[in-house]
Amino acid sequence: MKADIRWLDDPQVFRVNRLDAHSDHKFYENKEDYEKKEQRLKQSLNGIWKFRYSENAMERPADFYQKWFQCRSFDEMKVPQHIELAGYDKIHYINTMYPWEGHIYRRPAETGKEKGKGMFSQAEYNPVGSYIRKFDLQDGLKGKRIILSFEGVEQAFYVWVNGEFVGYAEDSFTVSEFDITSYVKEKDNLLAVEVHKRSTAAFLEDQDFFRFFGIFRDVNLYGIPAVHIEDLWIRPIYHPEDGKAEIELDIRLSQKKKEKNIRGKIKVSLKDNAAETKTVLLDETENLDDPAIQTNLPVEGSVNNVLHFRYELKKTVNAWSNTDPYLYELLIEVQNEKDETVEVVPYPIGFRKIELKDGKMLLNGKRLIINGVNRHEWNARSGRCITEADEKWDIECIRRNHINAVRTCHYPDHISWYYRCDQAGIYLMAETNLETHGSWQKMGATEPSWNVPGNIECWRACTLDRAVSNFETFKNHTSVLFWSLGNESYAGNVLREMNQYYKEKDPDRLVHYEGVCHNRSYEDVISDMESQMYTSPENVKEYLENNPKKSFLLCEYMHDMGNSLGGMESYIRLLDQYDNYQGGFIWDYMDQALWVKDEVTGREVLRYGGDFDDRPSDYEFSGNGILFADRTEKPAMQEVRHYYGLRR
Amino acid sequence: MDYADRGKLRIVYGDVTIGVHGEDFHLIFSYQTGGLESMVKSGKEWLYRTPKPTFWRATTDNDRGNGFPFRSGMWLAADMFQKCVDVQVQIDGIRIEKPIAPVNNKYSDKETAERVEIVFTYETLTVPSTQVKVSYLVFSDGNVRVRAHYYGKEGLPELPAFGMRFIMPTEADGFVYEGLSGETYPDRKAGGVHGIYEVEGLPVTPYLVPQECGMHVDTEWVKVKRSKVLDNRKRHMEQSELTFRAGNEISHSKFAFSCLPYTSEELENATHQEELPLARRTVLCIYGAVRGVGGIDSWGSDVEEEYRIPGNRDIEVEFTM
Repeated sequence: MKADIRWLDDPQVFRVNRLDAHSDHKFYENKEDYEKKEQRLKQSLNGIWKFRYSENAMERPADFYQKWFQCRSFDEMKVPQHIELAGYDKIHYINTMYPWEGHIYRRPAETGKEKGKGMFSQAEYNPVGSYIRKFDLQDGLKGKRIILSFEGVEQAFYVWVNGEFVGYAEDSFTVSEFDITSYVKEKDNLLAVEVHKRSTAAFLEDQDFFRFFGIFRDVNLYGIPAVHIEDLWIRPIYHPEDGKAEIELDIRLSQKKKEKNIRGKIKVSLKDNAAETKTVLLDETENLDDPAIQTNLPVEGSVNNVLHFRYELKKTVNAWSNTDPYLYELLIEVQNEKDETVEVVPYPIGFRKIELKDGKMLLNGKRLIINGVNRHEWNARSGRCITEADEKWDIECIRRNHINAVRTCHYPDHISWYYRCDQAGIYLMAETNLETHGSWQKMGATEPSWNVPGNIECWRACTLDRAVSNFETFKNHTSVLFWSLGNESYAGNVLREMNQYYKEKDPDRLVHYEGVCHNRSYEDVISDMESQMYTSPENVKEYLENNPKKSFLLCEYMHDMGNSLGGMESYIRLLDQYDNYQGGFIWDYMDQALWVKDEVTGREVLRYGGDFDDRPSDYEFSGNGILFADRTEKPAMQEVRHYYGLRR
Repeated sequence: MDYADRGKLRIVYGDVTIGVHGEDFHLIFSYQTGGLESMVKSGKEWLYRTPKPTFWRATTDNDRGNGFPFRSGMWLAADMFQKCVDVQVQIDGIRIEKPIAPVNNKYSDKETAERVEIVFTYETLTVPSTQVKVSYLVFSDGNVRVRAHYYGKEGLPELPAFGMRFIMPTEADGFVYEGLSGETYPDRKAGGVHGIYEVEGLPVTPYLVPQECGMHVDTEWVKVKRSKVLDNRKRHMEQSELTFRAGNEISHSKFAFSCLPYTSEELENATHQEELPLARRTVLCIYGAVRGVGGIDSWGSDVEEEYRIPGNRDIEVEFTM
């Protein structure tokens, strides 16, 4: 197959050869590596790559992926990094308006006369980053099936290995993986990645933030063991009334092509690592020779078969919650017919139950109160390319200030964030990468004369795929209590289908979506809760006193722009007055601003929207945090700490 | 210094000013600048320009979002431009004829009193116009009780704040206060813990766009510490303090204050922290009323009603220096 530049213009082409999303579990080839937490099957491709910037697709070096191409004139670029922050292309902040507002007239495909032909591929301004990197396979990966994994590339990209086209993907904030086994060699591999700033995905990614492009999260290679757990779905079922629990387990295995069918065993154990004696709650062996299992095993590399196991725990378990984030370790070991370990997969799991009962959301049988905050990933030096230190700081800050919940606004975060929240007991509203407010909200008014995804067939698959990626990647995280369909994307059949997808896949969690309150005809089929944003305390009351259909949550409230957060008391009082008011998520965690050397004094100063000659802009609207952009707490934080500390 | 009667105030009936002197303190009230022009304690001048009533706290992002500055903008002008329309002098509780020339020819260089009160009346440029009366009651022990009274008037828009603004000649070393921790506002003070807090320097909260900041509501007293002076003989003096205590000897009310290196107009004018001028003064504002900051949203919702300041109601603030 050959790459086609016109894919940028077609919402129906959003993944080419991209593998299906799967659980984010770590895997090791043997117990020794697992014990040392040494991921020898993983090879990082972060670092310095060769790079060329072009203003548009016509000017890009289209042959740059060829083996004969001489890239001596290329610059160097750190990966991961936003291209704008490396000094190419203009930094731009804008809120609801699409970033081309006032520059280019655009309508999404099938919303009007526009068919989208050439809209992005022929645009005079639609920058391209052409990346090249050479690599040799690390020892641990040699001879194995090789997966190339991009954890975040904004916004559309093509991949070639050794001159051969590998694939194409959109969706900036989820993992995109490609099987490159048939193209890769042990030494001297040539990886070429062409990143386009905008594509049809831009209509779905209109988040209120700085608009960047480039490879901004990790790039890795994975060597896949001969028998491999491709996907894993652990469903801990907890009964708060008596502390008993079960575990349901779905395992999807793969094996290297052309090898005979799998024989051997799968060992499943559950340990309480917190207990001094490392109590074992489960220790089971499943024999793969069992005929019932054999029929469910993959043949010749197929990965469509799922093994299903169910275990009842004999002992009672400790529930997981914000005040006591009790985790157990589930360990799955795959052995071959000689009883040799071929793969070890650990996963930390907690037991908790989120449910809707009598019109209220309960966690472990008790009313759930959300003392939450919306969090964009941000670092004032590197934008959304954040570090482990940033995440650790955030977790501590959140715990210290009695915040118990985070909405990952408005896209999936780095994978590590979900593990940290499991560990710290932070309730997550895991949001899908979707925001289309520029398509229906004009200067604050609801005006959906052209709206995506709406009910439009050609926007259906690409939107639903975002939900699938979000669910499949993070489904095992105890911290995820809610799936969120995205932010401010109005409501229509596609959103309804997305809601349905999450409900069917995962009936044990709740689905959240706010946009339905702007289109009440979907009220009964979208969102388990009434979610609104910035509603005044009086209007929250009004909803709750008039036969509410659902319990109430503010997915955004207390807009902490500049010197703000006054009047929080009125919201906190609602918690006393209404059992089915469940709290809310403050907007938002930290200011989005960037360190820049002041052109007058030479001092380092923080700059916001509009400070880069970027127009149109929404200026200081980029800074609404309870933290400043340098991660120090704003004075208002003592108010948050006080009120959120009242009910923990 | 030669006092006719120790323990009494020495009064200098000048042509343009009235001087009130005691042991280690010296006050000069000016008919020309319309207020207290000089306050010297232990040889150190504490005033840069005559203190005046203040009506403006810099707008916040939320204020701008809900159109407050457009509704109440005349208070910004009222804050910047004021007219003193009347000065009254009382000696030991008795009002005297305004002692400017030639009335003051009857006085000597040995005038004393136990108590002196000077009352300045200011007219606002608002439409309709109203008045503020500021009274300074000086006791022989050097305490000065200040009372500022705003006369509410129908038709006036809501105020961002009302109080007295003291600008000191140099940047203070810091201040100590008894009140709530952190930066607090009437609608954001539940998290503030009562205590005595020492603040080093005059920190400006680094909001992306400079705006109202550094407020401390429910304060009992604040003590400003200064070393730097403009006196050409010595630019540095030993650190000394000036305390502002809420209320008077009978009633112990509380005030709100901010102590910053900038006026609200300077904050208002900057779009970035780096545009603020170099810090060179101390701007201490003692407020009797401050508008809340709000928080419902930043594009229309007003501050909750109980935290707004109606223009038609009287406001008074009283404190002792």
